Amino acid sequence: MVLRPDLREITRYLGYHGVTPDENMMSEIQQCIEELENVITPRFVYDRFDLLQKEEDGRSILSFGGLETESRDLARNLKGCTGVYIMAVTLGPGPDRLVRRASVGKMSRAIIFQAAAAAMTEAWCDEINERIRKEAAKEGFCTRPRFSPGYGDLPLSMQKQISMILNMPKEIGVSLTESYLMTPSKSVTALIGVLPGPASLDVASQKLTNSAAGKCENCAAVENCPYAD
Amino acid sequence: MKKDLRERLGKEWLVFDGGTGSILQSKGLKGGELPETWNLKRPEDIIDLHCGYLRAGCDIFNTNTFGANALKFPDNLEEIVTAAVENAKEARRRAGREDAYVALDIGPTGKLLEPLGDLPFERAVELFGEVVRYGSRAGADLVLIETMSDSYEAKAAVLAAKENCSLPVCITVTFDEKGKLLTGGSVDSTVALLEGLRVDALGVNCGLGPEQMIPIVKRLTEVCSVPVIVNPNAGLPRTEGGRTVYNVGPEEFAGWMEKIAEMGVQAVGGCCGTTPEHIRLTAERVRKLPFKAQTRKNRTVVSSFSQCVEIGPRPVIIGERINPTGKKKFKQALRDCDIEYILREGLRQEDSGAHILDVNVGLPEIDEPAMMTSVVQRLQSVLALPLQIDTTDPEALERGMRIYNGKPMVNSVGGKKESIETVFPLVRKYGGVLVALVLDEDGIPSDAEGRIRIAKRIYEAADRYGVPREDIVIDGLAMTISSDNKSAVVTLETLRRVRDELHGHTILGVSNISFGLPRRALINSHFLTMALQNGLSAAIMNPGNEEMMESYRAYLALAGLDPQCMGFIEAYAGTQDRVPAAKAAGAPGGTTGAADGTAGSATAGGTGVGGAAYGGTGAASTDRTGWGAGRASAASSSAMGLTESVVRGMAQSAAEAARKALAHTAALDLINGELIPALDQVGKGFEKGTVFLPQLLMSAEAAKAAFEVVKESLQGQSQEVKGRIILATVKGDIHDIGKNIVKVMLENYGYDVIDLGKDVAPEAIVEAAIRENIALVGLSALMTTTVVSMEETIRLLHEKKPDTKVVVGGAVMTQEYADAIHADCYAKDAMATVHFAEEVFGG
Repeated sequence: MVLRPDLREITRYLGYHGVTPDENMMSEIQQCIEELENVITPRFVYDRFDLLQKEEDGRSILSFGGLETESRDLARNLKGCTGVYIMAVTLGPGPDRLVRRASVGKMSRAIIFQAAAAAMTEAWCDEINERIRKEAAKEGFCTRPRFSPGYGDLPLSMQKQISMILNMPKEIGVSLTESYLMTPSKSVTALIGVLPGPASLDVASQKLTNSAAGKCENCAAVENCPYAD
Repeated sequence: MKKDLRERLGKEWLVFDGGTGSILQSKGLKGGELPETWNLKRPEDIIDLHCGYLRAGCDIFNTNTFGANALKFPDNLEEIVTAAVENAKEARRRAGREDAYVALDIGPTGKLLEPLGDLPFERAVELFGEVVRYGSRAGADLVLIETMSDSYEAKAAVLAAKENCSLPVCITVTFDEKGKLLTGGSVDSTVALLEGLRVDALGVNCGLGPEQMIPIVKRLTEVCSVPVIVNPNAGLPRTEGGRTVYNVGPEEFAGWMEKIAEMGVQAVGGCCGTTPEHIRLTAERVRKLPFKAQTRKNRTVVSSFSQCVEIGPRPVIIGERINPTGKKKFKQALRDCDIEYILREGLRQEDSGAHILDVNVGLPEIDEPAMMTSVVQRLQSVLALPLQIDTTDPEALERGMRIYNGKPMVNSVGGKKESIETVFPLVRKYGGVLVALVLDEDGIPSDAEGRIRIAKRIYEAADRYGVPREDIVIDGLAMTISSDNKSAVVTLETLRRVRDELHGHTILGVSNISFGLPRRALINSHFLTMALQNGLSAAIMNPGNEEMMESYRAYLALAGLDPQCMGFIEAYAGTQDRVPAAKAAGAPGGTTGAADGTAGSATAGGTGVGGAAYGGTGAASTDRTGWGAGRASAASSSAMGLTESVVRGMAQSAAEAARKALAHTAALDLINGELIPALDQVGKGFEKGTVFLPQLLMSAEAAKAAFEVVKESLQGQSQEVKGRIILATVKGDIHDIGKNIVKVMLENYGYDVIDLGKDVAPEAIVEAAIRENIALVGLSALMTTTVVSMEETIRLLHEKKPDTKVVVGGAVMTQEYADAIHADCYAKDAMATVHFAEEVFGG
């Protein structure tokens, strides 16, 4: 499986703030990507649900897929949406093993694996996101940028319900720790709102997913982002 | 009286039932509703479900307990499981099918086991054990573990079943279209593990339809010796109006199952999407086919979570380096619980071409069972080679075998009664290929005849304990020729006779043969060739010893065991035969720069192996991450000074430069005059933003390589440690990269780091700080949600050990945040932590 991770994203994770690493570092990164390609087992699962939104005493309540949650930021993201896709993707346990292995005496490699695997996870997310966008477009819907538990005021604990709704352990081999972190760690869950309208209105399709208009829009660290160029 | 299932399993066709979920949904089960609750809420519907399958003609049907465990039902698990078995028994009565067997159905916990996830192995065994106790008490006829997609969890479930009841245990696992478990296991590795655990039948279910399962079933029938079960889905799922539907109807399904039955499986059934009609047609068609019992495959195999290694006909290399005997540094690492040292030793051997790793951590003054447990756990979390548990301590042996994620090798049993009585029951229970030493109460027989006699006795013991003979490898015992000139001859004869007369496999600790002689590698490599020629199946040796690896690879090529000599060519293409030194100097393209001599052996350039690795024992490792690697040849790097090597992050040349410099510079001058200033230079660059994190770490690794060399020269002298620091990722958080980066940097600056790992409870951190009297604790948290545990840890530390300072870091941490949770320091990166440590310890 070949995933095309964004090299700039990898170097950003590695702390190169807008600086392009030299040739040797770039070839090192390339090698790590190749090694990762040999161990990843990308999987995904998604499903679409009707969305109900209401305001109660100034609180934003959203319900879909048999769950109910309160989140102002998610409500803003899903404004006007009539449905929502819930997706979960993973690269499998391979990258975690590779990072663990490199951590024994070769941390410089471990962090490159870590950064590259994170960017590959994003690339995999983008691919599934795109699949969802096309599916929605066929039915005359446009999509909102994806939004994950832990963004803004959407609680991480929502992972538990998402995991149940999508049957994540069985479908893609992702389970949750006591503190709602996903294992394998190179996994992502996200919500993608849909509303009637032409695909030209897609926000996700406008390559804004890595910018403030995309997934950063509700990040608490947007003011002093350690990864900003 | 109904026949015991064991009398029928594998002797006649047996049919399992089909899907549950879709049928319950049609009866009104809502999404998100737990099906197991229906055992109590809607027993009639469950009985009805069972009756459908019983009337369709299945022989074995599953209780509605797939997801029943204490994680999902903490309050009423016993009630649910008992009701489920009662419902099944009631269905059997109503359907007039008293001949059918009630299978206590056990599915995965939904949690990943450590180290992938956070569920400890023994906790998983407990969770499954509870269900097995309730289910067997209520009257189930067998345990069916199903839909397992992690070999480790499968092992936990089988152990739990075996330890909590005496019912037959069957297990089916779920492979993907590539024939892999979600956690990476193959058909071969999974079968090795499960047959080792002595399951009564094994097979595959769910995930795929019958057609997609065919390649997997083919492999299963090729490697399994126990009966094979195949329970596919009704094809592939698709969603239709929020409902999952499957695309293979009863007629088509039965057609495929007929094909599958003919491939040599012994039991068939269905999984998701299959209905009583699928099962009725399948049962009808399959029962008309001639039944073929499973054949014994007699393969000698060991496995890890993902790999299966077969011993013989192709001989294998077992790496011997994880063993403290005669190794001062290794002993010290054991005393210091420095498991990373042991892991590095393992990784080096894997890189050098070992197939299996021997693990011996026996030292009189340490807690060997505990050490064996943690070393096995850590090794299997970073490498994929099968392990050989090597100990004389029965408790360490059992704990190592139990926690091991696979079918291990076990080193060893002897001909003594006591040894046989201790070791065989463990191998019977956990599975394993057992190394059998041909010695007994009277010592080591001096002739082959005596050794063969003991070997026979051990095979007979295997029969008695129900351990298959192919799971025994006979150690012919290599003893030095320097004390007995005939010893090699006797050993070789023993190997030959085990092969020819007993048709068994053999193993040797090869290097023992040369003890006390000069040029040991010379003798060892020749003896290895002779032993292989006489039938040796497994060589316990140092895979970093290039002469021996040369003999091994040459033997494989010569014996027709290396197709097209590909392995040999891959290892040696582009390398040169050794030539006399005088000639080599003038020969163009000679071996110049290939080896630096520290390993005492030539290098194999073709395998990408560089010169000696730092701390090297002869096993070289690559150094391609060096700054300017690729450009820099060995010749030019050897000219590089220490400072430059560290600044450019080149570990190998840093070690070389340090070694050279030590000839004329005192160790301490080298550290203070070159190493530390070089590190400072890189550190300052990092803080200014001209050097980046990967470079900082590479420099740190280069400095470490140099430090190791310098330390060696200081042996015997007391070495200054600037201070001892605890590092931990807080409770609930499993991100440890940041913490590990800080650790590398602190160690570089001369601090002794006690790394407590990740997901560490506040109490554990405080306890360690008090016990070790620690002045500085570093805490890492990556999530806002886990900063709470950080705060709790600081509160507890300040209360219980007020003189300890706490430095915090992590992605979400800020100065304000750190102040709010009363940390003594916020470190924005690894260098900032170093500076704070210098402050605390007056560096």
